[in-house]
Amino acid sequence: MSVSPTPSLQLAEYLEKLPGTTFRKLYQQPSTAFAIFRRMLPHLAKTFVMRILYMPKPILLSDLDDWVKPSAKRQKDQALSIMRVLYIVQITAPSKDRPQEMQLTANFKTSLRLALSGGGTHNSFGVPSSLQVPLEIDIPFLDRYARKRWEDILHYVVSSVGFKSASEVTGPNKNVKELLIAGRLVDRRPNGGVGITQAGFTFLLQEANAQVWTLLLLWIEAMDTRKELEATDMLSFLFVLASMELGRAYDTNALTDQRKNMLVYLVEFGLIYIPNHKWSMFFPTRLATTLTSSGNSLRSISDGVAAATAAALTPGQSNPTSNNADQKGSVIIETNYRLYAYTQSTLQIAVLALFAKLNMRFPDMVAGRLSRQSIRQAINFGITADQIISYLAAHAHDQMHRTAALNNKPVLPPTVVDQIRLWQLENERMKTTGGFLFKDFEDHKEYMAVAGFAEEVGVLAWRNDVKGMFFASKHEQIRDYLRIRKKAE
Amino acid sequence: MDAVDVSEHYEVTTAEETPSLLSIILDANPRAWAALSDVLPMSRAIANILVFVNAHLAFSNSNQVALIGAHLDRAVWLYPSPPKPKSKTGADASGDVPMQDVPAAAAPSSSANKYPHFAQIETAVLSSVRSLVDNTTEADLATTTTQLSGALTLALCHINKAAQALCSPVANLEDSRKANASDAPPTVRGRILVISVSDSEPSQYIPTMNAVFAAAHAQVVIDTLSLSGDPTFLQQACFNTGGTFLAATHPQGLLTYLMFGLMADSEAREALIAPTHDTVDFRAACFCHGRVVDTGFVCSICLSIFCELPPGAECLTCGTKLALGNYGAKPAVLPRKKKKKRRIVNGNGREETGSATGTPRP
Repeated sequence: MSVSPTPSLQLAEYLEKLPGTTFRKLYQQPSTAFAIFRRMLPHLAKTFVMRILYMPKPILLSDLDDWVKPSAKRQKDQALSIMRVLYIVQITAPSKDRPQEMQLTANFKTSLRLALSGGGTHNSFGVPSSLQVPLEIDIPFLDRYARKRWEDILHYVVSSVGFKSASEVTGPNKNVKELLIAGRLVDRRPNGGVGITQAGFTFLLQEANAQVWTLLLLWIEAMDTRKELEATDMLSFLFVLASMELGRAYDTNALTDQRKNMLVYLVEFGLIYIPNHKWSMFFPTRLATTLTSSGNSLRSISDGVAAATAAALTPGQSNPTSNNADQKGSVIIETNYRLYAYTQSTLQIAVLALFAKLNMRFPDMVAGRLSRQSIRQAINFGITADQIISYLAAHAHDQMHRTAALNNKPVLPPTVVDQIRLWQLENERMKTTGGFLFKDFEDHKEYMAVAGFAEEVGVLAWRNDVKGMFFASKHEQIRDYLRIRKKAE
Repeated sequence: MDAVDVSEHYEVTTAEETPSLLSIILDANPRAWAALSDVLPMSRAIANILVFVNAHLAFSNSNQVALIGAHLDRAVWLYPSPPKPKSKTGADASGDVPMQDVPAAAAPSSSANKYPHFAQIETAVLSSVRSLVDNTTEADLATTTTQLSGALTLALCHINKAAQALCSPVANLEDSRKANASDAPPTVRGRILVISVSDSEPSQYIPTMNAVFAAAHAQVVIDTLSLSGDPTFLQQACFNTGGTFLAATHPQGLLTYLMFGLMADSEAREALIAPTHDTVDFRAACFCHGRVVDTGFVCSICLSIFCELPPGAECLTCGTKLALGNYGAKPAVLPRKKKKKRRIVNGNGREETGSATGTPRP
């Protein structure tokens, strides 16, 4: 079993809830279609979309089966179901006289084509500012700025646990604090202070990109319910930001009034930077431009490749990636539960202290160990074993990755991973899954078909073939499937 | 209590995606493109290729692309642009060398309707193709086929460089030694796509095949889209590296060929059925005249291939004196002896060696 961190999960859940009309509106913008394509689809689905993008006619659904190896049928079904949920493809209803056909939805198709070939007058990739850019604003400056802003927010959440950080932290703006409270990441305590909630712990242990999305989605929902801003437009503006170029100035005046209002908040999150005296231009930071890439937003693989190719082409340049060494993973965990973290960041030390017993601190490293007690304490906070494990995996030191890759072994020592889970299971013998029970099928054949479908789309939680009932975590697709079955009969 | 099961182990893998580096080699043979210009002008072909490049980059932030032009007598970088030869005044007082690798950055196209990265590539490619066309003299047109091996080698070097740079620079010696021994997954999924318009040049056989075997060793897939001509060696290249060979019957549908047949990278290919090419031309070129031969002479020492008997029956490559046996003699026709052949059970055709035990294995 792999505990791969799923950074796009919250965004996926949020998008799944949106109705089709919202998607039609979202897909009017090429940058949005492009961003959703890049960020939300599994690899196979992307290949499918690209294959049918320039096809003039809809393709037969049965043809799709011929494209895919029989062993990858499950992958294909999942890809297809995600594409349907996101309203990227539409599939005609099955009927006896006509085979099912599949095609891209019109808006998505035209927008993605526009994004690939350029052209049009949609201005959805941001209007660059023509003004003179202040000299001091370069990419390292923006990175420092973004990291400072973001760590302020995280510090605020962590410090509410009681681990006061040594350095003086100004803390985020009042608006952000309100948002964190409204989003139930922290809640007000009777004594006037704030305390972290379980959602807050989940938030802390996520990787940066997922954290940004969590906060942004909270913000969108808060704004939408207060009717101040419209969710669809906010979302598509975020996708515009994501497609902008780091280190370039963009024109504020080209934005609509509503989007100008959003800028104030985005500055507070550290997604954009606006120079003090120049409100007519804004700079997206790395937090914004990497919104649509999976993985850690403060360092990205593309930078590595870009640096590599640049170094390959201009030999003699010193290693340009050395300045962001501190953002790489820094945690080493041994099979004897000892934990070493090469970090000076008070934030990371505070997060580690949530679930590990740290007993030594050196100028650039802390050492400690995981113990039953420390894990139990974390679990009492409401942190789950999965969160701890995915945090450790996401922050594992390069050396861990290298040895893992060389020896074909998992990144974290299996003994430790197993033990963390067992410690959690000690007082958790039950696991709850919210969902829906399907029973009383007309005959066994129907049951088998529906349960099989649920398993294929990945929502099946439990099944009992003898009693003819199964339990699924979501019901929308099963409902549609049942309806289609009824119609076909 | 089922959940507390000692037999269940949780393995943690990091789900970081492997970047995919696509190197496109564009055959820039002027004669062939002139012949194709009725159905597919080169400008449209490049526009189509750019859309394909954008589609590849759209897959992920970490995907990279490189374009190389294979010309009649040289291979040139189309994107990323090659470094200009450094002038002496290159380094200024602070020791900084002005960045010269992206000339497009100097004049960014300020369109808000295009993804900035795409626009950058487009300007770089168009300007380098233009300079390639401008620098082609009439004297170059004397040769008719393209020198592909140089471009292949260039692409391989680029992929290798990118892969090595992605590995952590602090990897210690022991690691790198181990890495050679074990089959660690590559840090970059490299892929080379050759868009070929001309025949294979027989004299290029050895360098081409060397590049192909190097690619196969580095797990780099070579795909080919042949718009015209008969690229024999590229068929073998695709076959050897597990790539796709497509011969376009309708070159005007270039974009469809690219998007449908060649979009899938090695990750997606694990799930997809690749278009196959049923016949592969396996003929080799001889070492002495560079002719493509069906049957020839092979040196028993170094396996060099000759289309005719080398002078003095001496191998041209290794100098071994070759004994020809009774070559050229008419085979005598003998009545075949009726032999009772033992049926071999289970297809296990191990020869009788006299000893009961098989060959010892390590």
